[in-house]
Amino acid sequence: MSILKKIVTYRPSFTVRILTGLISMLILLSVCTFIGLADQTRLNVRANEFNARSIEVGAKVYFDQCARCHGVNGEGVEGLGPALASEHFVGRIELVRDNMQMQTIRVVQPSERLKQIGWQGTLRDYIIAVTEAGIPIKTSNMWDVTHPTFSERLGGPLRGDQIRNVADYIINYGLDPLPNDQALLPPAPGEGMAPRPTPIPLTPAQEAGREVYLAKGCSACHAIRGVGAQGAIGPNLSRMGAVAEERIASESYKNNLKDQPPATTGAEYIRQSILYPNAYIVAQCPQGPCQANLMPQNYEQQMTPEELNNLVDYLNALR
Amino acid sequence: MAIVGQKLVKQIQTTGLKATVAQRLDDAFTRFTAGLSWNDVRGILRGDPPAKPNPRVKPHTEGFWFHIRPTFYHEAVTTLYPTFRLGLLSALFFTFEIITGIFLMIFYTPSPTYAYGNMIDILTNVPFGKFMRDLHRLGAEAMVIVVTLHMVRTFVTGSYKKPRQFTWFTGVVLLGVTLFLSFSGYLLPWDQLAFWAVTIGTSMADAVPGIGPQLNLLLRGAPDIGAGGLLRFYLFHVVLFPLIGVIFVAVHYYKVVRFGISLPPEMEAVGEDTARKVPPEKRVNFLPDILTNELMYAGVAFAVLAVSCATWYSAPLEHHADPLVTPNHTVAPWYFYWLQGLLKIPHMIPFLPTSIAVEVDRFFANVFGLTPKVFWGVIVGPLMFAILFVVPYIDPNPSRRYGDRKIMLSLGALFAVAIIYLSLAGIPTGVPITGFGYVGGDPASEVGQAFIPDEGIGPVRRLPYEQYVVGKFAINAEPNTGSAGLDRLIRDIHNDMEARKVRPDPLGKTLSADATGSLEVKQIQADLRQVIITIDYTDVNGAPTQFKKYTFLHAQSGYAD
Repeated sequence: MSILKKIVTYRPSFTVRILTGLISMLILLSVCTFIGLADQTRLNVRANEFNARSIEVGAKVYFDQCARCHGVNGEGVEGLGPALASEHFVGRIELVRDNMQMQTIRVVQPSERLKQIGWQGTLRDYIIAVTEAGIPIKTSNMWDVTHPTFSERLGGPLRGDQIRNVADYIINYGLDPLPNDQALLPPAPGEGMAPRPTPIPLTPAQEAGREVYLAKGCSACHAIRGVGAQGAIGPNLSRMGAVAEERIASESYKNNLKDQPPATTGAEYIRQSILYPNAYIVAQCPQGPCQANLMPQNYEQQMTPEELNNLVDYLNALR
Repeated sequence: MAIVGQKLVKQIQTTGLKATVAQRLDDAFTRFTAGLSWNDVRGILRGDPPAKPNPRVKPHTEGFWFHIRPTFYHEAVTTLYPTFRLGLLSALFFTFEIITGIFLMIFYTPSPTYAYGNMIDILTNVPFGKFMRDLHRLGAEAMVIVVTLHMVRTFVTGSYKKPRQFTWFTGVVLLGVTLFLSFSGYLLPWDQLAFWAVTIGTSMADAVPGIGPQLNLLLRGAPDIGAGGLLRFYLFHVVLFPLIGVIFVAVHYYKVVRFGISLPPEMEAVGEDTARKVPPEKRVNFLPDILTNELMYAGVAFAVLAVSCATWYSAPLEHHADPLVTPNHTVAPWYFYWLQGLLKIPHMIPFLPTSIAVEVDRFFANVFGLTPKVFWGVIVGPLMFAILFVVPYIDPNPSRRYGDRKIMLSLGALFAVAIIYLSLAGIPTGVPITGFGYVGGDPASEVGQAFIPDEGIGPVRRLPYEQYVVGKFAINAEPNTGSAGLDRLIRDIHNDMEARKVRPDPLGKTLSADATGSLEVKQIQADLRQVIITIDYTDVNGAPTQFKKYTFLHAQSGYAD
């Protein structure tokens, strides 16, 4: 108790007051000096950290908003959107740091795409401009869609900071871009409007199959070019007939098929995929690896045998 | 001009040039110090006793700044007890906040488009920017604590009693100003923490019966917080509340000087106030004793703040505000936890089955026509604060002695305990042991929140990028990923899951015994990985369920430091 009393009744002497005050001021000054001396380096380090965090946030935005048309790995999706991770688009960059930790992006190889379309600004400007405002007119028959506006100001879902984050994310592809032959490149300006090859004329049964496709809600998840089907959950079916034949010949199909006899023709494969979706799960879907149990397993009850035949016939005709 | 010149020449002729210059400089010095010559100041600094008549009272009568201060204090109030210098520290922190605040104002635009970017600029492009922001934030937290302690001290020593009732009243206003200054500053960084804490806070206004929507509109400028709300909060923060603060500090301090600092209760007879009747031998002169004492306190306080900000303290900055994404476990600022706890009261009464709690809510709704939010948040909460205003006017006991004030001191203690209890109940984890006030989703999502919190860092982000190994790993007690850090993380997740399997949370929920988890690390880009925690479990309805939570981690994001 007496110690407590001593503490609370303590009255520092004049010397103690002056000394304590002086020492405190010295500490304050040394802290400021200490911070001031290395401040520039610390600012640079922190700028790098915030750039890294911006890329992290951009990745989330990309997966939520962009991956559907540009691919999970930025490789592009047929009929929907070109590659963003391709060397053609992002070029190739390096990060250079000076001895003050100041990081700058050095362009090793500039974007060919920007040169192609004659864009005067930086890649970042281009990404932001297109993401914000979209591309209002169709410039190529390669795509079924035009680029929508993503900026909040123009009716889109994203704020300015999110668009800048996603630009940082896409630019970061440049550190290790996809080789052009592994990516879906857009056509050069002026070349994309070439008329499409005349579609194979459909038989009346196949026409009926297309109506089944649209009526039974397949288009909610599966895109087919040219029929207004833009679903991006399951695989794109625009070339289903050709894909089915490639698929039954593949090792992966032979090894991973479950509970069903292997299909011998493309049409059988398509029928199997509709009726028993879990028999074989395709590796890549628009939003990442395809998942079991996602596709309903009751189409046999939902369709008459004739409707099913027509649907299979129609899908098989898509090449 | 000619006359001045003649006088100067005459002085130089009679006393010499050197003496004339010295005398003229000393005159200027004396005018600057409002009455103290160089020798007087030197004497003060050397600790010499004052001459008679004491020249050191001159600045108190001649100058503005010192006339605000008394010329002497009673010896008994110059020790640590009874004041603990908390009033002085409150004023110091207020000044300190103004200085650091003006610095930050230079780099800030109160608009949702720019505010968050300005924060990043302050941290990455403004010399001393982070230091100033940390100082401002830590100073604000310290100010709330110091002002509150100042009030507690005044209550305990009974210094609110006659004649200081109104001093206390203005002090409670200043406590409110401090809280609202801090709260209004909360919104300005425009990050998730700011946005949701303030959304919760201002939703209280919306609940006020009758005028709620109008009040809410007045506060936020729109039904939800946006550009209008940010500008208003900015103006509250830099104009309105500081202005009210300055006015009330002036009144408050005038009263303090007018009535003197109250002596320790045991030194006075009951009902007497002798603070202003200081016998000459008990006087401690303001110059130099009190002034040096205060400068010492200022120096120590600022040095402690500066060292803290240079070492352990860093003001938080979360993700950009997003009105569409509510982070898990959003809370109000800590000094409003008690209000948040108050809102949970009907569900917090010990050992009360939930159905009865619902009945309690219904009772208030039917009998008073008030929803629980209105009753507890809008009526009881502000009333608790309002009680503070009237304390000196309802306390009939004239004695300031501790022994005579058992009832009032007990009530005060009870109030303090209630505030602490409610504050604990206000945070998502609830009161320790009893778990009252606990808020949590299902146990699997709580595992996710514990390791990858929606906001803030958490163990997954704290593990450095290099320590992750690309691949998919089962979560078990003996992970073997080839990285010690990742093994430790997986073990921690495993232990957390096992604990949630056997120990129900305060709502009685456990993680199903068959729950299994996995942690997957994917390389997304150069220097960028995705970490995904997946938990497969059986939900309360017996259905197999999967919980998934992920985060992205960049090699340079610097969460680890």
